[in-house]
Amino acid sequence: MKGLHYLLKKLIRSGAGRKRFFMAVIGLSVAMLLILTAVQIQADYNDLLHSKSNQDSVANFLVLNKTLSDQNLGATALTDNEINDLKQQVFVESTGSLTPSRFKASIQSSSDRFPFFTDIAFESVPNDFIDVTSKDWKWDENAAFVPIIAPNMFLDFYNFQFSFSQNLPQLTQQVVKMIVFKVNVYGPNGLITFNGRVVGFSDRISSLLVPQEFMNWGNAHFGINQDTKPSRIIIRTKDPGNPQLVQYLKRKGLSTDADKTRFSRYRQIVDIVVRISWGTGVIMLLFALLVFTLFIQLTIASCKEEIILLITLGASPRQLRHFLMKQFFPVHILIISISLLVISGLQFFIHRKLVSQGIFVNSLPSVNTIAAAVFVLISIWLVTNFSIRNYISIPLRKN
Amino acid sequence: MTIELDHIIPIPLKDRFLQRSSDVWNTSVLFSQGEFIKIKAPSGTGKTTLVHLLYKLRHDYEGTIMINARSIADFSEDELAGLRQDKISIIFQDLRLFPNLTARENIELKRILHTPFYDEDVIDKMSEILGISHVLEQKAGLCSYGEQQRIAIVRALIQPFELLIMDEPFSHLDIVNTQKAAALIEVECRKRNAGFIITDLDEDNNFIYNRHLIL
Repeated sequence: MKGLHYLLKKLIRSGAGRKRFFMAVIGLSVAMLLILTAVQIQADYNDLLHSKSNQDSVANFLVLNKTLSDQNLGATALTDNEINDLKQQVFVESTGSLTPSRFKASIQSSSDRFPFFTDIAFESVPNDFIDVTSKDWKWDENAAFVPIIAPNMFLDFYNFQFSFSQNLPQLTQQVVKMIVFKVNVYGPNGLITFNGRVVGFSDRISSLLVPQEFMNWGNAHFGINQDTKPSRIIIRTKDPGNPQLVQYLKRKGLSTDADKTRFSRYRQIVDIVVRISWGTGVIMLLFALLVFTLFIQLTIASCKEEIILLITLGASPRQLRHFLMKQFFPVHILIISISLLVISGLQFFIHRKLVSQGIFVNSLPSVNTIAAAVFVLISIWLVTNFSIRNYISIPLRKN
Repeated sequence: MTIELDHIIPIPLKDRFLQRSSDVWNTSVLFSQGEFIKIKAPSGTGKTTLVHLLYKLRHDYEGTIMINARSIADFSEDELAGLRQDKISIIFQDLRLFPNLTARENIELKRILHTPFYDEDVIDKMSEILGISHVLEQKAGLCSYGEQQRIAIVRALIQPFELLIMDEPFSHLDIVNTQKAAALIEVECRKRNAGFIITDLDEDNNFIYNRHLIL
């Protein structure tokens, strides 16, 4: 003989509205796919931005200065207020001022075999913002030489353009670091000459850097004017592609290396896609839930007589609720599991596709995606449970 | 199990019932464990109403009904279900079978609504005694009233109980079948040390009653 479940199933038929039920199943499936996709895209994007394997150290440091225009020629210094305001912004992790040299200087070779001479200006920046580590990066008045960090692009410019046009040899970084040259500083009391040597090359800051101590000493002794306001500032940020950052710079008339902020536009597009996906998914989920609720109501209403008789014969409301829950809930587990599987499949596919291009995204769906699926499942459980409780008590009350 | 009725009276019938005397309405009555009680009730004296009040299907009455010294008004839905599953069984006058289930399924449903009291084969044994074996696989809605009444009797006897309430249980049966059914009911009650309350229009000798009451 068949069990209680079979007999109850025979009595409480859910035949009515089956078509609507299947429509709701399809609706819920699409909604789940949209919601999980939105969460997953967001997670992947965050992965790309913040994970170690994708991090582009250059992109996290931005050198800012006022956009030069006819109106602010000669007045590009950043005020304390402007710097403080910048520090307050959420996207700024730390700031450092670039100090320009306010004395005349030049460099020239110490050897006649390889003659060169050029006027030059230096900048200095707090050590935290320098991407070169060198044990020689220090200076005091007794130091044997002034260490200098040169921009990588200077060397590139020399090797791939200048050397050809002047018929000079190409130089590697190592060779340049061995060359000791003269650094001339011109003060009110005449010329002072130091030895100088390049100790590293930077991708981050496109000026010749000297240690802060040397800069302070030089500016104090040889500075032409005592204006100490910096014109350029370096910031450290988690995400140079943050649209907020780009908008802020635009609003304040600041400019930076546009190439580093190019992600901002992609980011905005991703945000819009994610939001549309979210919104549509949530609306569809709500409608699907509404239809499911109506379906439960319809089933219970159409079996009112049977439910009353079952209770009369001694079936407990709890037994019936349990039975109805078993009837209505498993389909949701199925839908959500399938949606998760589809998302996992897609994620694995994207992972494989991008790895070949040197971009790393996780091969598994993110924890957030799984959490979202569990959250939706719990919500559906609550709604189903509430509907059953609510609608089953109606025939009983009338009884 | 004991049932005490303390001055109960159905509200819709109050005016009419207060004008005449009754062994049950508006008085105190105690039904003890294992008693066989016959309630004779001419038409219009509230026979079915009494049955429904005892089974807590109606709430529109004054007075108190106590089961084991506890007012049935205080029973929760789940407690009530428990009571109907293993303390009080019932045969309705209007039978109340599921027309779309077979006779066997109707009985089986009651058997497995909680931990079964009897094995499945008892359905066949009882059905054979009452002469309804041939309709067991038939939809209950298609059976004759006489057959439906016997299905309802087997359904009531398949569960554990301490009290069996019967509302004109033999109204559609001939004398021979009535005797067979009464004999089976008595055997099942004795087996459980259970009592019953039977309501009917007339006097009868189907059982040896401990008490006769007039509604």
